[in-house]
Amino acid sequence: MIEVRDITKRYGSFTAVENVSFNVEKGRIFGVLGPNGAGKTTTIRMINYITVPDQGEVIINGNPAGPQSQKLIGYLPEERGLYKKMKVGEQLIYLARLKGMSDYDARKSLKYWLDRFNASDWTKKKLGELSKGQQQKIQFISTIAHDPEICIFDEPFSGLDPINSELLREVIIELNQKGKTILFATHRMEQVEQMCDDICLFNEGKILLTGPLSDIKRSLGKNTVKIEFTGDGSFIDNLENVRVNNRSSNFAEIRLLEGVTEQQILREAIKHVDLTHFEFVQPSLNEIFITTVNDASARKKLQETIA
Amino acid sequence: MIDFNKFSIIFKREYLTRVTSKAYILTTLLAPLLFLSFFLIPIAVTLLSPDTERVVAIVDETGVIAPRMIEINPEQFIVYPELSLEEIRDMVTTGALNGYIIIDQDVLEGNRTPELIYGGTGGMGFVSDVRSAIRTSIRDEKLDRAEVTEEIRGIMAERISLSTRVLTETGEEEQDTSALFIVGIVLGMIMYTSMFVYGGIVMRGVIEEKTSRIVEVIISSVRPFELLMGKVMGVGALAVTQFTFWILAIAGISAASTPLLLYFFGSRVSEAAGSGDTQAAMATIESELPFTIPDIGMGLVFGFILFFILGYLMYSALFAAVGSALESETENQQLTMVVSLPIIIPIFFLSPVSTDPDSTLAFVLSMIPLFSPIIMPVRMAIMNVPLWEVALAVVLMTATFIALIWLSARIYRVGILMYGKSASLRELSRWVRYS
Repeated sequence: MIEVRDITKRYGSFTAVENVSFNVEKGRIFGVLGPNGAGKTTTIRMINYITVPDQGEVIINGNPAGPQSQKLIGYLPEERGLYKKMKVGEQLIYLARLKGMSDYDARKSLKYWLDRFNASDWTKKKLGELSKGQQQKIQFISTIAHDPEICIFDEPFSGLDPINSELLREVIIELNQKGKTILFATHRMEQVEQMCDDICLFNEGKILLTGPLSDIKRSLGKNTVKIEFTGDGSFIDNLENVRVNNRSSNFAEIRLLEGVTEQQILREAIKHVDLTHFEFVQPSLNEIFITTVNDASARKKLQETIA
Repeated sequence: MIDFNKFSIIFKREYLTRVTSKAYILTTLLAPLLFLSFFLIPIAVTLLSPDTERVVAIVDETGVIAPRMIEINPEQFIVYPELSLEEIRDMVTTGALNGYIIIDQDVLEGNRTPELIYGGTGGMGFVSDVRSAIRTSIRDEKLDRAEVTEEIRGIMAERISLSTRVLTETGEEEQDTSALFIVGIVLGMIMYTSMFVYGGIVMRGVIEEKTSRIVEVIISSVRPFELLMGKVMGVGALAVTQFTFWILAIAGISAASTPLLLYFFGSRVSEAAGSGDTQAAMATIESELPFTIPDIGMGLVFGFILFFILGYLMYSALFAAVGSALESETENQQLTMVVSLPIIIPIFFLSPVSTDPDSTLAFVLSMIPLFSPIIMPVRMAIMNVPLWEVALAVVLMTATFIALIWLSARIYRVGILMYGKSASLRELSRWVRYS
């Protein structure tokens, strides 16, 4: 559905995106991960044909990205906003018509979505008169009203209240079940872990990892120990060659580094606390993210020192 | 290159949301009223000011002038034969009387200039009324004494006025346009103001879309160039609508002004014209006004509109580019100054250009594309600018517009996506080079 082929984008001497390639397949939920400033938004803008790559190309549905492909895409940018002084109804029709819908189709589709979001009463109001949460709903509607084949959400959950956050999650799942392709960029791992089929991981304008989430996890193997216990957990501080994530007074997620086995951790734990749960698992996405990014910067540093 | 369907959707929104806004409707309607008041207030002031009658005592030693003056205006002139000069002076100082004039044989014979001694209030209108009354009285007295015939009196009363005509290349004579000097200055000022007003609307529109962040949603549907052009043209249509309305309104007011003036000037006009002849009445009014009402030719109206449109297109493109680099209107005055300067500079030349519209300076200034919209209409108002000069200016402006819109579009498409801080001029020049 979306093929990103070796794209590079520079702004003056700054390279925002360098030799990036990935494929998003039809009907999948694709997560674009990476720290802030890693090139996610620039890449998404190129997919949306808002900017064009200096090198490489973006293919949407078999054709290069362009005005035609824009009609297939619904885009929710990271920085959101609509016309504050324009009436909600007029505004939604305007945006849907810019996506190539006829006035009639736009009204029909908007009626469905406004009802679905309990927002039909707001059409005569100016956007600025709505609450923030209500404005967020109108923004989602504007993104999906033209029934796009591809939905692109840039940091969709940032700034949303919990109710709208849940609503958006439902809508994303619903759209996906209807066969729509979803691409979203985020740095919030738990949502990606819950929702994404495939991911790609950005850092400093380059892709570090890409592929189905399950394959990536499997390829890295089991290397994390999850324990739950009662008692004094201070022994965890004395463990060597490990990295501790997600720790609380009765829970810890311990990443094993070189030379340590899960059995050693188990023996150590039994000595100090009453274990209620012990599990040897694949790393969490958060763990993968941190490790990969750190490795990449370590490697870069090393290369710089050699050079 | 441009998707006309999308362009027209944007154009319509830009135009309709503004044309239906309260602020727009108010300014559109109120401006002609303002114009009308500029037009009527001086007239009203001229006509209605001698409201309070000021009384002047005539101390007439000749005994023949005072009755004539009282005949001219019985409410203004009075004689106090029983009072001494001292007593009359006291009345003036206490304010019971506005002034007095001593008329003796010397005055009548022209050996001495009569003096009006007065309380210092009353102004020019009062003094000129007294002057005219005394002049008429003395002249008539002298004419009577000389036993001059009716025929010669008629010649004396005759007023010869000078009307002028200009000889042009085509051999036709036209109405003299020296009063159009003012029209030129006014046109220049109107052009200057509207470049700022409409350019500012475009700039604020760009800033609004950028700061509200909707611009990214829109350019995921249309090319930035289509959005830019839709906006520039939409606001341009707004300006044309406004000016069309104003021109029609002013034409309407002018057409209605004859009966209006007759109403205000009623008594004087009938006095002067003596009959119901409207044209004669109008001529009388014009001679009484502190200014003349010049005829504005259709050529000038078209020229003004043409230069307005081209000027607007150039400046709105520049303002849009600047707007795309700003985070808010008040930020980075340096950038707004860069586009404002070419609008401000010609204003300093309005006076030399309008006094000598045919000079080399005027010619050169009117050929500089960014100055043409202000300078050329000024020249066109005052003189017959050769067609080739107008055509050359139009060609230069069109070429400049194409270059500017290209440049602006390149800045704009980068600028609208740059969040966080306003850019400097150097950054703008860098954006132009981005692919």
